[in-house]
Amino acid sequence: MPLVSIKNLTKQYHKGGETITPLDSVSLNIEQGEFLSLMGSSGTGKSTLLNLIASIDHPDSGSIVVDGVEITTLSRSQQARWRASHLGYIFQTHNLVPVLTAYENVELPLLLLPMSRSERKKRVEVAMQAVDLLDRANHYPRQMSGGQEQRVGIARAIVKHPEIVVADEPTGDLDAETSEQILDLLKRLNRELDITMLMVTHDSAAAQIADRQFTLDHGKLIQTHNVTTAAFATSGDQT
Amino acid sequence: MKLIAYILKSLWGHRARTMLTVAGSAVALFVFCFIQSIQEGMNDLKQRQEARGSLIVFQANKFCPATSHLPQDYDQQISKFAGVKDVMPIQVFTNNCRASLDVVVFYGVPPQKLRTARDFEFLSGNWSDFETHQDAAIIGRAVAARRGIKAGDKFSIGDLSVNVAGIYQSDNPAEENYIYSHLDFLQRRQGINLVGTVTQLEVILKPGTDPLITSTAIDERFRGGPVETNTRAKGVFQANSLGDLSQLIEMSYYLGLACVGLVLSLVATTTLMSVEDRIQEHAVLRTLGFSGVKVFGLVLAESTLLSIAGGFLGVGAALITLKISSLSVGAEAVTVAFIPSLHLAWVGMLLAMVTGICAGIIPACYASRTEIVPALRHV
Ligand SMILES: Nc1ncnc2c1ncn2[C@@H]1O[C@H](COP(=O)(O)OP(=O)(O)OP(=O)(O)O)[C@@H](O)[C@H]1O
Ligand SMILES: [Mg+2]
Repeated sequence: MPLVSIKNLTKQYHKGGETITPLDSVSLNIEQGEFLSLMGSSGTGKSTLLNLIASIDHPDSGSIVVDGVEITTLSRSQQARWRASHLGYIFQTHNLVPVLTAYENVELPLLLLPMSRSERKKRVEVAMQAVDLLDRANHYPRQMSGGQEQRVGIARAIVKHPEIVVADEPTGDLDAETSEQILDLLKRLNRELDITMLMVTHDSAAAQIADRQFTLDHGKLIQTHNVTTAAFATSGDQT
Repeated sequence: MKLIAYILKSLWGHRARTMLTVAGSAVALFVFCFIQSIQEGMNDLKQRQEARGSLIVFQANKFCPATSHLPQDYDQQISKFAGVKDVMPIQVFTNNCRASLDVVVFYGVPPQKLRTARDFEFLSGNWSDFETHQDAAIIGRAVAARRGIKAGDKFSIGDLSVNVAGIYQSDNPAEENYIYSHLDFLQRRQGINLVGTVTQLEVILKPGTDPLITSTAIDERFRGGPVETNTRAKGVFQANSLGDLSQLIEMSYYLGLACVGLVLSLVATTTLMSVEDRIQEHAVLRTLGFSGVKVFGLVLAESTLLSIAGGFLGVGAALITLKISSLSVGAEAVTVAFIPSLHLAWVGMLLAMVTGICAGIIPACYASRTEIVPALRHV
């Protein structure tokens, strides 16, 4: 059984008589430990799909089952509880809490879980270690570079050992070199900790670190099996 | 409450805003306590047992103590009335008959009678010094504190000069604003000869006596002369003397309410501003798994902390100021003390807390109800 099973997911927006359909009956299965990338031009609905999987947005129809739980029909507070223990979210603009240190930012999601202080400390340290920022634990976001902030954001997403981590353009705000470091980090976390990842990106080079790549176009999800097929398919389309 | 650090850091993160709000609510609650303490003084005056258990006989149709002149021998006649335990003739001298924040009121009384009528506790000096010296006076703690008077001092006001035989305290705060001297000393004070007349008579009733019946009987007895009287329960007399002042004091209640309103709007505004500033931050928290209720609680805790901090400073400052200054207001030789009671402190703090909670409700609703996705895009 796949970890995530999305069936016939549809999301529409109505704006002044006009209807936008970013997701038109989208179906997708994600296996445990997979790394998926999602591309597509701006405004096609990538973030919308991500947010639906993250249960912070509501579909018009369709279902999303994560590890046996149908998340679209949960109440708001149940969804919050589900997010607290099962989901990691990496934002494009790191979105750290400015008044908290790196350590406290990473610790924040754990405050929602029943966990002893020492267990919390251990988990935060492991997560900070994983993103190689243990020496910056007491720094505030404003004292860190964009890349470091993003690493804190990643540590915050993985610290609770979530079933799935979604990342919305995690390298969108970073320069090429830093982007590469972040992508390496995500790939390493995916491989070493067996974290299932779904990453939205505009950068086709970034997309290539994924096991499977998808493109969203006019509400439809198009899959390219692997890097070589994707390259082949693209060049095939052009000729 | 593992999140208290987050709340405190959020408040501290906006130091300027936090401090201004705390200062603002502190000032408002300071004023509230000041106003409320005079209310307490007023209530205290009205509710005291002795306000009901004793009567004041005054000359009819006179209001300022300087103009009331009763024959002193009325005391003999009144003491024969049924239900009357004792009668204390009082000569009143005050430096100011109108409403004032610093009235000095002299009560000239027979020393032995005073000793039985009041249960003063001496902070310095003693009864016998007072009783044995003609020009001696005992001074209430509050007057002494205000004017810096110590036992053994000579105290003069106008052409009146007394030797301070002692400083007393009383469980009736209003009493602590008076100066008691010998009756005949006041009657004979320089330039005026009032021997044989007194300003008023204090009639102490036996327990269970109806004050209304007795006072009617007294006024009936002296109707037609030589001097007509107007007798009222001490509480009523005091309330009448304070007159407009007591109305003002009652009106000040609404000023107190206005202060509370001020705190409410101040804290609500600040909290709403802080919530609007952090729409995205709250959306991030909710994406991390904070429920709407949790975010609601965070915002509410913030507003409540702001208000409680303001309350703590304001109420504390007000109580300390009142305690040190021993303020009172008075009119027509009756004073009302500002009473900085523990009860007032509780009321002030409770009010600050409730106000903080109320002020947080709307911003908290706003923060917890905002849709996450649009809020995340918000910049
Ligand atoms: N609240 C809304 N009301 C109306 N339309 C909306 C709303 N939110 C999103 N949309 C529309 O839905 C479509 C998908 O938006 P989405 O943010 O998912 O795009 P995206 O693929 O993530 O784009 P980008 O690459 O620029 O981030 C867009 O056309 C957008 O205009
Ligand atoms: Mg997007």
